[in-house]
Amino acid sequence: MPEFWINMGPQHPMTHGLWNMKVKVDGETITDAKPEIGYLHRGVEKIAEVREFQKVIVLTDRLCYVSSITWSHAYCLAVEKMMGVEVPERGQYLRVIALELQRIASHLMWLAAYGPDLGLLTVLLWSLRERELFLDLIQLMSGARMNQNYPRIGGVRNDIPENFDAMCKRSIEHFLEKLDTDYEKMLHESKIFHMRTQGVGKISAADAVNWGVTGPNLRACGVNVDIRRLDPYETYEEIDFEPQVWKGPDAGDSYSRFICRFNEMRESCAIILQALEKMPKEGAYRTKPPRRAEGEGYVRTEDSRGEALFYVCGDGDDRPYRVKIRSPIFCTMAATPLMLRGNKLADSVAILGSIDVCVGEIDK
Amino acid sequence: MGLDWEAIAFVVLSVLEVTFSILLVTSKRLVRAAFWLAATLITVGGIYLLFRAEFVFLIQILVYAGAVPLLFAFGIMLTRRKIMEEPGMEGEK
Amino acid sequence: MSAPLVPSLFGSCYILTGAIIWIVDKILYAIGYVIPPLNGPLAALGGWLASPAVLTFLTWFVMVLVMVIWAVLLNLLTMMWVERKVYSRLQDRYGIMISIWSLPLWPFNRRKDKATHRGWGFLQNVADGMKLLQKENIVPAAADSMMFSVAPAWIAGTTLMVFAALPWSSGLSVANLDLGVLFILAAFSLAPLGILIAGWSSNNTSTLVGGMRSAAMLMAYEIPLILAVIALVFTTGSLDPQTLVLQQEQTLVALGPVSIPRWNLFGPQVIGFIVFMVAIVAEMERIPFDLPEADAELVEGWTTELTGMRFGLVFGFKWLRMIAGAALLSILYLGGWSGPVFYTFYLGSVPIPIIPAEAWFMLRIYLLGIFFVLLSWAVPRVRIDQILNIGWKRLIPLALLAILVAAAARVFGYVG
Repeated sequence: MPEFWINMGPQHPMTHGLWNMKVKVDGETITDAKPEIGYLHRGVEKIAEVREFQKVIVLTDRLCYVSSITWSHAYCLAVEKMMGVEVPERGQYLRVIALELQRIASHLMWLAAYGPDLGLLTVLLWSLRERELFLDLIQLMSGARMNQNYPRIGGVRNDIPENFDAMCKRSIEHFLEKLDTDYEKMLHESKIFHMRTQGVGKISAADAVNWGVTGPNLRACGVNVDIRRLDPYETYEEIDFEPQVWKGPDAGDSYSRFICRFNEMRESCAIILQALEKMPKEGAYRTKPPRRAEGEGYVRTEDSRGEALFYVCGDGDDRPYRVKIRSPIFCTMAATPLMLRGNKLADSVAILGSIDVCVGEIDK
Repeated sequence: MGLDWEAIAFVVLSVLEVTFSILLVTSKRLVRAAFWLAATLITVGGIYLLFRAEFVFLIQILVYAGAVPLLFAFGIMLTRRKIMEEPGMEGEK
Repeated sequence: MSAPLVPSLFGSCYILTGAIIWIVDKILYAIGYVIPPLNGPLAALGGWLASPAVLTFLTWFVMVLVMVIWAVLLNLLTMMWVERKVYSRLQDRYGIMISIWSLPLWPFNRRKDKATHRGWGFLQNVADGMKLLQKENIVPAAADSMMFSVAPAWIAGTTLMVFAALPWSSGLSVANLDLGVLFILAAFSLAPLGILIAGWSSNNTSTLVGGMRSAAMLMAYEIPLILAVIALVFTTGSLDPQTLVLQQEQTLVALGPVSIPRWNLFGPQVIGFIVFMVAIVAEMERIPFDLPEADAELVEGWTTELTGMRFGLVFGFKWLRMIAGAALLSILYLGGWSGPVFYTFYLGSVPIPIIPAEAWFMLRIYLLGIFFVLLSWAVPRVRIDQILNIGWKRLIPLALLAILVAAAARVFGYVG
């Protein structure tokens, strides 16, 4: 057979959204690949210029619907920096709890998508089952399961209900037990799972840094970069946690990415428990921000997928003059041909699933 | 009855076999040829059955009808031959 | 040892055909009574139908029909239902719920305005089949339409061929061949050609890659499968299912009231059993080895372009292949339909065992089915180079080892 191109997308079980991965195959071996994005472009950056600062949160929530809070939070943080607003300590802790809950929910959604990629549909149902726990907690905090609008400029929208501590602890306990039993048996101890993911889609640490790969995908290459540690925001300084970095052999393959993300869920649970302990029991959870602002705010945060960057520029009006979003998977996408080349066609799903694609934030 | 059923079966099988083999060598499309090859080999197996050679018939089906056309098709597909006719296959515009 | 409920399928079908012809004869007589000029020819037709040669000929038709209804309508639907229920439980959900309670005219529904979805969900597969029957059969414009139509028929036909030689008990079988196992394997091995044809003729990249995968992995599992059977023949000396099961009915070890039967599994054939088990999963195209229709990377693999009942045939007959594979496995290694009979009561002079041989056989088939279901929903799919590695580097040496062991056992006097 001559080499030919296979369109994986825009409508394809592998894509998890609306994008197209063109792969050139020689029989079963991928010789070239070309990601094609832009099907979901909504122009968030441009729309943000005509809306008031508070109202942009609605847009940033929809950047990635499985990880809304982290994106809204990054925006709010940038605007607060520009305005010089200080968030009360309780508000900061609430934000940390919300962020980590959202990170777990997002990683579970990734796991749910990664299972069927490898032909393991059971993991989809199980992950969604566990995700319900965290969606319920997020709903208790913010009142919504999706597009929560929870972070606000100067704090968070509302306080947590009274018995939130106990419910959170109970859910996390249950979740950690499930991680150690069900998922451990289904994924970590599965020989075929190892065969499918180990040594597949390798990218070296130097390449990953050069192409702008961030977050768990970069930590899987053995590079210890976690914005929560390097450039702490909110109260992450006071919380004791360990960024999950892959230390074993075969750094940068699908398995290391899987392990990094998987362990990050455990780490997030620990962060939530610590934050619940250290959070002041009383106090304000938000301050009133000014309506107009002038200046520049630049912030980078650790999104569930990598380094999220927000640049907000105000010109004294009540709307931002310019908003710039740097989304992690947009940059990672450029590195996918590097990971794909030389692998088998079936590996394309094992690789693209492991980098946790979210088309909403890619296309903005 | 004076009819010799075996003779009739032999004639039918032979005619089918000859037809299929002509189709096999004249068809231009690879997989069609593989299909006709399988059909030819099955009719040959039928003639073995007329010889009361059931074992040979089953081996014929198992090895020749089941595997050999596939291996032929697969082997030819491994070469850089264009096997799909549609122009859109090139992908890159 | 357990006796079959149907002592002879031919005998039963002979009586059934006789009854049908008797009814037809009465109808013909009635027509002749109403329209007198037809009386003579119709009486002649009735007489011809009742002649022994025609009766025997028709009995064969009825036999095939009974077997198809038994295999496809009853066991296929039950196996699909078992699979969907079992993996739903594994995934922590109820699974299919549409049952007789969901029918609009079912009288026991409390709510008359709305169908209730309660019950065991057995009718879901029937509903799915009816939906597929109503769908339009689309042939893609660029497809090779003749081959596109031939392929599903080829796959369905060769799968049904398996059931011509597959016995369900010493009585319930269409044809008892001396080389029955070989025939079943031969019929099994014809389907990959259909898959290649379907994949190629759809003229789609996904289907083409799927068809190619089927061709590439055929040798990797077919050769170990046959080699395992060859190892079996060394000790059993027969390829006739009936003989195989009779041999396995004998007692291996007697432990007081309980005796362990002489299954081929307990003995030198255990290596062959493992090889056969792995290879038959590939033959059935279930999840660790369902590369031709890997739904993650190739949309639905070689079935992507098939629509309507064409898709229904190739999709549903996967379960028929699963039943056949489980049946073959139990005949070859797990004692077939042998099992203890606890009590036999007599209906007139006809002995009816409370647990007939067919029930023991189906118990094995469904237990193996549940095993395959749990297996395929708990492991990911392997890659094409990995299945070739497993087949050529693991299974074939193991199968050759099984042949050596079996030959050695035979030399030292073991007869299975």
